Amino acid sequence: MIEVKEEMVEVKEEPVHYSPQELQRPDSRDLQALRELFKPHIESFDYFIEKGLQIMLDNIDPVVVDDPSTGQKLRISFGRGDLEDPRKDRRQPLYPYECRQAKISYSGQFMVEVSFQYNNGPAIREKFKAGQLPIMLMSKLCHLRNADPQTLIHYKEEASEMGGYFILNGYERVVRLLILPKRNYPTSSMRNSFRERSEGYSDTAVVIRCVREDQSAVTVKLYYLRSGTARIGFWIGGREYLLPVGVVLKALIDTTDHEIYSCLTCCYDEKYEGAKGAVGTQLLGERAKIILDEVQYLGLLTRAQCLEHIGEHFKPVMPGMESEGNLAAGEAMLKKYIFVHLNHTHDKFNLLIFMLQKLFSLVDQTSLPDNTDSLQNQEVLVPGHLITIFLKEKLQEWLSKAKGVLQEELIKKNNFNLGSLGDVKKIMERNPLSNVGSAIETLLKTGNLATQSGLDLQQRAGFTVQAERLNYLRFLSHFRAVHRGAAFAGLRTTSVRKLLPESWGFLCPVHTPDGSPCGLLNHMACTCRITSFFDAKGHVRNFLSVQRSLINLLIGGGMIPSSPELVRAGPPQVVSVLLDGCIVGSLPAEKVAKVVAKLRELKVANKPTIPYDLEVGYVPLTLGGTYPGLYLFTSPSRFVRPVKNLALSSENGHGVEFIGPFEQAHMEIRCPDGGDGGRTTTAPATHEEIHPTWILSVVANLTPWSDHNQSPRNMYQCQMGKQTMGFSSQALRFRADQKLYHLQTPQSPIIRTSAYEKYGIDEYPLGTNAIVAVLSYTGYDMEDAMILNKSAVDRGMFHGQIYQTETIDLTEQSGNRREQSKKIFRRSKLDNHKYTGRPVDSLIDTDGLPYVGQTINPDEPYCSIYDAVTNSTKVLKLKGSEPAFVDYVAVDGKKPLQKVNIRFRKTRNPIIGDKFSSRHGQKGVCSQLWPDVDMPFSGVTGMRPDLIINPHAFPSRMTIGMLLESVAAKGGSLEGKFKDATPFADLVKKADGSDKKSLVDDLGSVLLSKGFNYHGLEVLYSGVYGTELTCEIFIGPVYYQRLRHMVSDKFQVRSTGIVDQVTRQPIKGRKHGGGIRFGEMERDAMLAHGASYLLHDRLHTCSDYHIADVCSECGSILTTTFVQHPRPQVHDNRELPPAKPPKKVTCHACKNSKGMETVAMPYVFRYLAAELASMNIKMKLQLSNGAEA
Amino acid sequence: MEGASYQRFPTVKIREMKDDYCKFELRDTDASMANALRRVMIAEVPTIAIDLVEIETNSSVLNDEFIAHRLGLIPLKSERAMSMRFSRDCDACDGDGQCEFCSVEFHLRARCIDEQTLEVTSKDLYSSDHTVVPVDFSQASGVESNEQRGIIIVKLRKGQELRLRAIARKGIGKDHAKWSPAATVTFMYEPEIHINEEMMDKLSLEEKKSWVASSPSKVFDINPDTQQVLIVDPEAYAYDEEVIKKAEAMGKPGLVEIYAKEDSFIFTVESTGAIKASQLLLNAIEILKQKLDAVRLSEDTVEADDQFGELGVHMRGG
Repeated sequence: MIEVKEEMVEVKEEPVHYSPQELQRPDSRDLQALRELFKPHIESFDYFIEKGLQIMLDNIDPVVVDDPSTGQKLRISFGRGDLEDPRKDRRQPLYPYECRQAKISYSGQFMVEVSFQYNNGPAIREKFKAGQLPIMLMSKLCHLRNADPQTLIHYKEEASEMGGYFILNGYERVVRLLILPKRNYPTSSMRNSFRERSEGYSDTAVVIRCVREDQSAVTVKLYYLRSGTARIGFWIGGREYLLPVGVVLKALIDTTDHEIYSCLTCCYDEKYEGAKGAVGTQLLGERAKIILDEVQYLGLLTRAQCLEHIGEHFKPVMPGMESEGNLAAGEAMLKKYIFVHLNHTHDKFNLLIFMLQKLFSLVDQTSLPDNTDSLQNQEVLVPGHLITIFLKEKLQEWLSKAKGVLQEELIKKNNFNLGSLGDVKKIMERNPLSNVGSAIETLLKTGNLATQSGLDLQQRAGFTVQAERLNYLRFLSHFRAVHRGAAFAGLRTTSVRKLLPESWGFLCPVHTPDGSPCGLLNHMACTCRITSFFDAKGHVRNFLSVQRSLINLLIGGGMIPSSPELVRAGPPQVVSVLLDGCIVGSLPAEKVAKVVAKLRELKVANKPTIPYDLEVGYVPLTLGGTYPGLYLFTSPSRFVRPVKNLALSSENGHGVEFIGPFEQAHMEIRCPDGGDGGRTTTAPATHEEIHPTWILSVVANLTPWSDHNQSPRNMYQCQMGKQTMGFSSQALRFRADQKLYHLQTPQSPIIRTSAYEKYGIDEYPLGTNAIVAVLSYTGYDMEDAMILNKSAVDRGMFHGQIYQTETIDLTEQSGNRREQSKKIFRRSKLDNHKYTGRPVDSLIDTDGLPYVGQTINPDEPYCSIYDAVTNSTKVLKLKGSEPAFVDYVAVDGKKPLQKVNIRFRKTRNPIIGDKFSSRHGQKGVCSQLWPDVDMPFSGVTGMRPDLIINPHAFPSRMTIGMLLESVAAKGGSLEGKFKDATPFADLVKKADGSDKKSLVDDLGSVLLSKGFNYHGLEVLYSGVYGTELTCEIFIGPVYYQRLRHMVSDKFQVRSTGIVDQVTRQPIKGRKHGGGIRFGEMERDAMLAHGASYLLHDRLHTCSDYHIADVCSECGSILTTTFVQHPRPQVHDNRELPPAKPPKKVTCHACKNSKGMETVAMPYVFRYLAAELASMNIKMKLQLSNGAEA
Repeated sequence: MEGASYQRFPTVKIREMKDDYCKFELRDTDASMANALRRVMIAEVPTIAIDLVEIETNSSVLNDEFIAHRLGLIPLKSERAMSMRFSRDCDACDGDGQCEFCSVEFHLRARCIDEQTLEVTSKDLYSSDHTVVPVDFSQASGVESNEQRGIIIVKLRKGQELRLRAIARKGIGKDHAKWSPAATVTFMYEPEIHINEEMMDKLSLEEKKSWVASSPSKVFDINPDTQQVLIVDPEAYAYDEEVIKKAEAMGKPGLVEIYAKEDSFIFTVESTGAIKASQLLLNAIEILKQKLDAVRLSEDTVEADDQFGELGVHMRGG
């Protein structure tokens, strides 16, 4: 155990001593299942630390500074990068708890070696500080890594802290997982927007998102032109450039026109025309000719000519290429922007040919376009990769800026010597490298991606979100959420939001919010994983050896390798084999199935050579279906999930295979119910689901018997589960969150699903087993209102608190760093009774901070700050409308004291208007706290319900699960047992093969055996009259959640108050004590009721009532003014002052005060007149007596 | 019925009586009377409960309100409650609830000094009045634990401390559930069960058995010798009408007829331990009488004589 010697933050309360024995927790629960949920985040960041950072640095292009006068050349590049763990002043370890309290960032020092090389001389390496880089919690650089629960408690964390987030300025932020197009897979698509690219473009294109080793991506599009040729489009620095495909083909390798022609047309064979899987058509030859003619037309015959052509055109847009020749520039362009995932030009050539074939096949309708909205063609953006690519760009930017300033200096020529490294470094300091660290911090803090190039991402904002700890489910869901991308939120079409069958098992069909983010913000199914760079043992994978062994295996299975080029054929004879976007060869069609089976076998065997999460995407030969091929993926950030491989499970015992969404679409996976799902014998099931609930997310898995509910209700529950007041944190007393909701006495549900155990939800319970009676009683339970038993509430049901932390930082308040010592926390001795109510010294201690445990009422001071500059004391007053207790005060250990956290506690016991819900999407508002004696009671047991809901809540909503829960919980509580309510339990083949009984029979017989009604009904007596209620009442315990929406935060009242300056109408907004708009529709309602006087009261008397003086002669209300009487001169003080002359109003325009009338009107009317006058429109009022009119 | 008196003379027959449990019959009255008794027992019989807590030190994991709330819910022996004053009408202390006539003071001092977790329970509460102490369940529950420790308030670990002063006051369950002396009070109408023996005899043994089994509670049984259906425990009948439905389902409507006796009730009273169940009943009757007295003596009633006539006279005991 590590000793925390120098505590940054001291709690003012007496510190609690922990002894090792005490920290021993009785249950060291297996947290593996829980840990798995956070893995995508942590693994990606681990990789960034371990290898990704270095690979990225190595991939940054060096810059060369030229001194034209001396001919000296300075080459600047990056060497080793070094990321340290978080420390205080580089010595003591900094712990996350301290960051949360002190509102600082959990970040480590980032050092980069910059190497300087003069004229190919030896490289001089210098270490540069690159600022502080935020460190993900529980990553390899986090101090909490590998800490057991006891140690975590010692570090003032949750015992089950999982990490996966960053701490920035004390706030916890998660990087959102975003959907990206699947890397290194050419997708064919048809979009109208392609037509608008330029003249002659069709809507057809093949798109591939190529990802480099360092995770940066370049998307290459291959457009089909109506003339029959194709254009290759790619992005350089935020602009798309287009090139004729022929030029690129020729520039890639030394080849002949004939070779290109035969490559392109190889997939067409007359023999197979119209056969299953044939993709080529006669038109291929024609198109190949057009492509080649195009190149000819440009006068480019050889590879060198093509490269020169490319280099000439692209040199201006490629940084650092100014001094290079055209040929080199051309080569560099192809290397850096075309198919960047491939290193060899031959591979690039083969891929381009393949893409052309796919494009033409799409045009000829021998294959279908790929659906870009389907999970099949998608992967996910993980935090580590995002940080890597952003960091790369920032470092590259710094390097080019450094070059810029050096060159500028060379031109200026004032005593600057490029040969002196000291001079160079001094100049480079003008643009400090530490800005890079803060850029990353800003990205994580705000979620905004400040980049020039866009990094091949679709959005610039919304990359991170705050990880709210409202309750555990909400916190957990942040890590499981996958967003489709902000770009799709604005789309008017709904196709992207659709639930597609391809996402089966990967994304939860239930857990998505309703409303604007519906279908865009999805959550991963509970067993869904994201592939990473780490293998099962936690070692970084060697992709090269994996790829090599895969190729060897494929060749062993009959694959003809693509180099040397031996075979020229296409589907249906042979299918191309793509390994991570590289054409490795072609397999004869008849051998593919065998190879696939072999690959799957090795996958399951978990050999080091074949990764367990290899995706074997075999698209079989079909008539006009998806373009066939064998696509293998070993890349990280793919979705995978476990299923049972039937062929291997019998011999192997487990036989669990991880499959991806790409291969899933072409696999036969049956449900584990013992049936075959209506399959024909030609395509028998090869795989089986392990458990049906594994398609649901963690939160959706917690709904008991969700298979008996109407599906939207389960969606509502997923929403409400995340808004529940629960047991938010076990380390509550060490937390400094802005707002925490806390349920005082939560319970574990009687009715639970297997997920409760699996994910340890009982550590953070979020509800109460309330006795619920379903009846219409007193009418206060109409329309989803519910009656709470006052005595039950008195006894503590649904009691709760809100914890709010105020951070007071005096250095921030003074604004200026140098003046920081001018303000201190101190109580003033003088103005002790300036505040009404209690004296200040009963609220604030001599140190200017409140007493712990003290109650503070609204508008009472809780903190006093003395300003030495102005010699004045300022107090901070409690905002809001409810009293608060001072829960704790934490101070920054530095002297003089500048930073404190004051945490308030507000009790929130249930009152009328608070919101509650069961776990079945049945929410309701408390309408009455009804006295216990008036509640109906059972004659046998004497029980009174805690809660009454209306029976009308059931017929239209069909939440049968809730009824089952009530019956089962009644039986469970009579037996003293928890009951399992895992959905689809009866659809799983029982191990013993026993026939299942109906669920209701099961539950009813328990009740019967305990002397209760089979259906959960009971005879109740009216609490008011003592007579039997006319029908039997359905009553039983149901787990109820208290939602965070409470009237105390929402009620709005106003009699008088602040008005708008311009209109003199009440302002809006609850915070400012404003009113609620009484709008047009409300006005209509009043009129319909004939309540016009009420209308007058609301819209006029209580709003901007105004008495205006109107000149009836000119009809103006603007020209009237008070006459300013000259102030009577006071001669003698002993005399009484003269009587005030009566106010006189005159009209400026008419120059007299005849015909002045007073008229009551809304003040806005006067404003309107003034506005009109400003436009040179005179508004004239014609006054008449009501009787005359 | 001009001039008829509605007065009846209810009788009470006690069947079972323990300290915290009581079962009795109430006869010759109606539901309004029975229910009034139930309501008074739950909500209006006064007890003493901690109402005001002054916390000196609290370094436990539970916050001040939570502990205060828990203290309030601890049942205190409240035999004195009937004779005590409500602090709101206490003349001796101006209602600030600090005098011996209306309040009892408690002290709690607990500090954990060793590694063992210390459980602070109701036994650690020191009362200023030996008659008002936390209810002791150790004898009643019959649990043979080596150390029965009372109701747990909070658990302390090393270094944590709880020091407080608490004032208990008289109150009624209507104001807060902590003052309710009754855990459960319930009553049921006494059932009257008539088996149509003629029809029953015609049933086969199998039919009889299934009919008897249809009642979730054990009301009927079959005499193993005579194979006759017997009423074993009529009061176990929960008015669920399961047997009647079963008879109808068997095609034998009228096999059994069950009526609720409108004028006799079987009461079950469970006390929290604050006062004995029997005392609870007596207190409830006393309070009911006081309430009726209040009605009778109020001026409104005299004025309302014109309105109510005979009834008004009757209410005043005429």
